[in-house]
Amino acid sequence: MVDIGILLQILFWGIYAGCIYILLATGLNLIFGVMKIVNFAHGEFLMIGAYITATIFLISGINPYVIILLAMLALIGIGAVVERLCFRPILGTGKLNEIFLSIGLIYIFQNGAAMVWGDEWQSVKSPYEGIAVPFGPLNLPLDYIIIMVLTAAILALLFLFLQKTRIGREMRATSQNRKGAMLVGINVERMDVLSFGIGCALAAAAGTLWVVSGQVFNPYMGSIPAVKAFAIIILGGLGSIPGAIIGGLLYGIAENAAAYFLGGVWKDAISFIILIVVLVFRPTGLFGESGE
Amino acid sequence: MNITRDQGTKIITILTVAVAIVAPFLSDNLYLLNLLSLMLICIIFASAWNLLAYSGQGSLGHAAFFGIGAYASTLIATASGITPYITIFFGAGVAALIGILIGLTCVRLKEWFLAMVTFGFAIIVQTLTVSILAPMTGGWDGISSPRLLSPSIPGYQFIEYYSILLITIATIIVIWYIMRSRLGLAFSAIRENELEARASGIDPVRYRLAAFGMSAYIAGVAGALQIHHIGYITPEIYSVDLSFWPVTYVIFGGLGTLAGPIVGTIALTIIWDGLKMAGITFARYVIVGILLILVIIFLPKGLVSLPDRLKEWWEGRNDASPPEAGRR
Repeated sequence: MVDIGILLQILFWGIYAGCIYILLATGLNLIFGVMKIVNFAHGEFLMIGAYITATIFLISGINPYVIILLAMLALIGIGAVVERLCFRPILGTGKLNEIFLSIGLIYIFQNGAAMVWGDEWQSVKSPYEGIAVPFGPLNLPLDYIIIMVLTAAILALLFLFLQKTRIGREMRATSQNRKGAMLVGINVERMDVLSFGIGCALAAAAGTLWVVSGQVFNPYMGSIPAVKAFAIIILGGLGSIPGAIIGGLLYGIAENAAAYFLGGVWKDAISFIILIVVLVFRPTGLFGESGE
Repeated sequence: MNITRDQGTKIITILTVAVAIVAPFLSDNLYLLNLLSLMLICIIFASAWNLLAYSGQGSLGHAAFFGIGAYASTLIATASGITPYITIFFGAGVAALIGILIGLTCVRLKEWFLAMVTFGFAIIVQTLTVSILAPMTGGWDGISSPRLLSPSIPGYQFIEYYSILLITIATIIVIWYIMRSRLGLAFSAIRENELEARASGIDPVRYRLAAFGMSAYIAGVAGALQIHHIGYITPEIYSVDLSFWPVTYVIFGGLGTLAGPIVGTIALTIIWDGLKMAGITFARYVIVGILLILVIIFLPKGLVSLPDRLKEWWEGRNDASPPEAGRR
């Protein structure tokens, strides 16, 4: 029998890893909901966010948890530009075309970043590194707790934005019925830019959290988390934010369990094994409807 | 002089083959010969991906079949001592078999779910190669693979080049034949409208599986050829990069056309290695990425449609009529 402490440890680290997936998957869900596009390059925004945070932190020494705001703002801008220049011209030409375009974006962002920052693995030290909070049999790193709280706060803000503000409601309307939204006078193209920007900002937040937790990063770090985030939204149901949260946590925990019980090389493979097994039995995903 | 479309295609085909045959004699640079051999292999690989796309399925994990073919052929050749010229086709058979198995899980999925599954499949295969199968495959270190021809044979590079050229031409003829047979018609029917295809008696699941198997087989041939040409194989063969290249080549050249993968591969190889000679490293990916996006937006049918587009533009200009609104 496995020690209960180890199980708790796996659970805790899984939830922490899940936070990053949740932020990525929620962003993708928002973009998919409003624009119905498949952006495989979403992980590159996580990578850019990570580098922006690391650079500002190394130059200025500002608390990295404050820089998260700057990184998110910067990525709203970058996201808006990418949406306007790349995705809008091919809107409605098919999912595969969007994926092919994402491959171009992946080439550009990964190697553009490698030109600016070099392609070696890097890491930064959080100011709270080494501080741990005792919790039952475990010592929980303070950084991980802050990350969980921050993720919850960001999601809560997003929820309030979508439910309570006018723009949020317009966005949800566009996501439910694009033509209908147009008919009642919503500027759907503005909603596209906004949703893409916010989705990118969420990816940037994930990137910041990745960096401050002390994990290593390089320009090619983003592609696999992004595809996993897609796997999560397929499992959790396209367009469903609660589904993304549950799926993200599940993936984080499953990965850590696989890394512990099967060995580290299985960390990435296990996510795709789960995806394939689920799709064999439910071709539309766990909670998915036939939809898009 | 008036040349019909058909004649034009014929002339270009004959010219291309002629250039491919005399190319090794134009320079005694072995680096260039090696580059040409690898380019031919990329053409086979890209054509394999294109055949799958022709049936409306997009794979982002074709490196899996490329790699399985390479590993299987290497292991068979090492264990049995049979010449790689024969084991290539057995290795590709293994790739096709596994392709059909993974196809079974995929054929009922939506087009972009399939892209995800194939992407993940390449990662799963890589993980298996370095964990459970490591005693056979050498893990991350890889294993050496029998060369197509022993380097002790004088001029072996030339013989290798011509055998690769022969296999490339054979592959393209086979794909051409498939595309214009009933099978190919069924593929495009499914791609264009699955419901109507079903109504006219085509079983989409069966035909999709067939496309999957054939595409995996050809990709396996390409992988085995490359590895026997290089003489060494590592699990890097399953990398994301290698899965993306055939996509880039085909989109660049023209999706769903026979000439697309060939034109795309040649054009991109020239750009890629030209930039390398100019000493550009990371930036060439950026340049290729920008070109890819420009082609997708402004030339959705790829480079092969460029002559027609230019002709249209030229005639439109002569007529002085207002230009047609580009895309709807």
